[in-house]
Amino acid sequence: MSNYTRDYSMPELMAVTAAREIKDGELAFIGVGMPLMAATVAKFSHAPNFNMMVEYGAMGPAPLRLPMCVDCAVNNERAYFAGSQREVMGAQQAGFVDVACISGAQIDKYGNLNSTVIGDYHAPKVRLAGSGGANDLASSAGRTIIMLRQDGRNFVNKVDYLTSPGYLSGPGARQKAGLVGNGPAAVITTMGVYRFDAETCEMYLEKIHPGIDLKDIKKAVQWDLAISPHLTETELPTEEQIMIMRTLDPLAVYLGTGRQTLAGDFEAFMAMFENSYHPMVKLMRSKGMI
Amino acid sequence: MQYQPMPIKKGRAKPPAYKIMTAKEAIEKYIHENCYLGMTVSAAPAALIWEMVRQRDRIKTVDLVITSQIGMSSALIGAGLVRKIEMGYNWGGIEGEDKVFRRAVEKGIPRPLEVEDYSNFGAAMRWAAASMGLPFMPTKSQLGSEIPEYNPKIKVINDPYNNEPVALVPASYPDVAVIHASRADEIGNVQCFGLYGNTDTLARSAKHVIVSVEEIITSAEIRRMPNLTTIPYYYVDAIVHAPFGAHWRESNYYYHHDLAFGLDGYRQFATKEGFDAWIEKYILGTKDWDEYCKLVGYDRLYRLMQSEHKYQQFGEVR
Repeated sequence: MSNYTRDYSMPELMAVTAAREIKDGELAFIGVGMPLMAATVAKFSHAPNFNMMVEYGAMGPAPLRLPMCVDCAVNNERAYFAGSQREVMGAQQAGFVDVACISGAQIDKYGNLNSTVIGDYHAPKVRLAGSGGANDLASSAGRTIIMLRQDGRNFVNKVDYLTSPGYLSGPGARQKAGLVGNGPAAVITTMGVYRFDAETCEMYLEKIHPGIDLKDIKKAVQWDLAISPHLTETELPTEEQIMIMRTLDPLAVYLGTGRQTLAGDFEAFMAMFENSYHPMVKLMRSKGMI
Repeated sequence: MQYQPMPIKKGRAKPPAYKIMTAKEAIEKYIHENCYLGMTVSAAPAALIWEMVRQRDRIKTVDLVITSQIGMSSALIGAGLVRKIEMGYNWGGIEGEDKVFRRAVEKGIPRPLEVEDYSNFGAAMRWAAASMGLPFMPTKSQLGSEIPEYNPKIKVINDPYNNEPVALVPASYPDVAVIHASRADEIGNVQCFGLYGNTDTLARSAKHVIVSVEEIITSAEIRRMPNLTTIPYYYVDAIVHAPFGAHWRESNYYYHHDLAFGLDGYRQFATKEGFDAWIEKYILGTKDWDEYCKLVGYDRLYRLMQSEHKYQQFGEVR
């Protein structure tokens, strides 16, 4: 077991915290972005037999470079399966997926998410991406891990549009609606880690990230937030977990400012790929994965 | 908004005849004003979409149906061609926020855009239904959410066998589907390497199907590995040979996503002026796909191919 480190960024801490939610042997539905980094950390550290499905039709990829999107060529690399979206999303609806990672722009105390519009649907202040697979994952995955930035305005009493179901209106509501999956298990933000009370289905604060003030968390939540009587500090990342993320994503495309670096810079982009081959081979060999 | 049932008019089997044509010919022949156009994200049919933008004065208006789309739909939206979009997701993926889409929905620039939201799987099941000639498909997605409340085409009912809620989505039968795939023969048998999203069901749902491919191969090669055929010839109207035909996005086992190009494009799409200048340079300023590739640079495209082949070529693990 490698040592804890304080040399990490907030997105890295979130990714590692999400990785710890994934158990060995599980099948997960993973979107590209921060969830992908979480999945990779899990696979290379405590959950070598964990496999992921990707939305446009891949399962179990083990690439030596960074995937760029849910339909990316990289998702075929060393995969167990590549084919149709119907296969992976159909399997999820049939109950085969243990865990999925989703996000949104707004969240309420029952873990319901909005990724469609801010403001009125018919005259939106901000139009967002739409559900994508988020609604499907929230509906049918065994459990969901929600990851989002906590900016002080997005933990709201009522989401402007309920895109992806959490516990809906509370206890029993998911079953009544006919949903397959069991709902959110954890919410991981830039401030802390939240879980849901088994009886009330309401979100409570379980862990607080190092350096974050509880007063600021309370200010960033619109409802009267419950706090765990056993409130602890979030476990720090290990040196190895940080090394895994920085090997796969050295320019911090997902966990930092890499996209600004790469915009228009073809040589830097190509170098990122060319240079990832040997460190990734070395990392996979050290884990006995190739 | 009252739900209008869609007339079910499926195309008949297309003959096993020579179907190769240029993108210009295929778009001229099949895409007309007020066309109901289907496309999806994997792989991006850029060569066909660029040709539609070049012919926008003739086409004028289309209604789009997608599951997820990144970039291609917004090229049409920004070019002023799209009146309505039925969708699961329309955004930039790793390229980030889609300002073209936002401008159209929020401000009606360059024209107002009506949106009909589904979940991704919900949207996909519309083609699953149509591909089998069914009027609708039940799903366990979208239940309990507000997606059905804002989209009356989605009907939540109790299923007649178990009395449990299901969300029904109506079949979608596009007039034309535009698809990019790996390879095809001249009569239109299409094969895909790697993941192919829902291009298989999209092709089966549309009255006319245009497929651009990286390579044209013989029917003998198709017959050698028939389980790679995702779209048999009887669905297909036109095959367009477009090497690198998904750039700036990827084509599995052929070349990699050109993220540097995509990010730079999205930076310019932040303003209407930036978008207009971008399509003027890369689309309207080039007469066909080959000229676009020359402008991007074939050396650059070959490097994207080499990079992909360093990690994987079809049938080989590197």
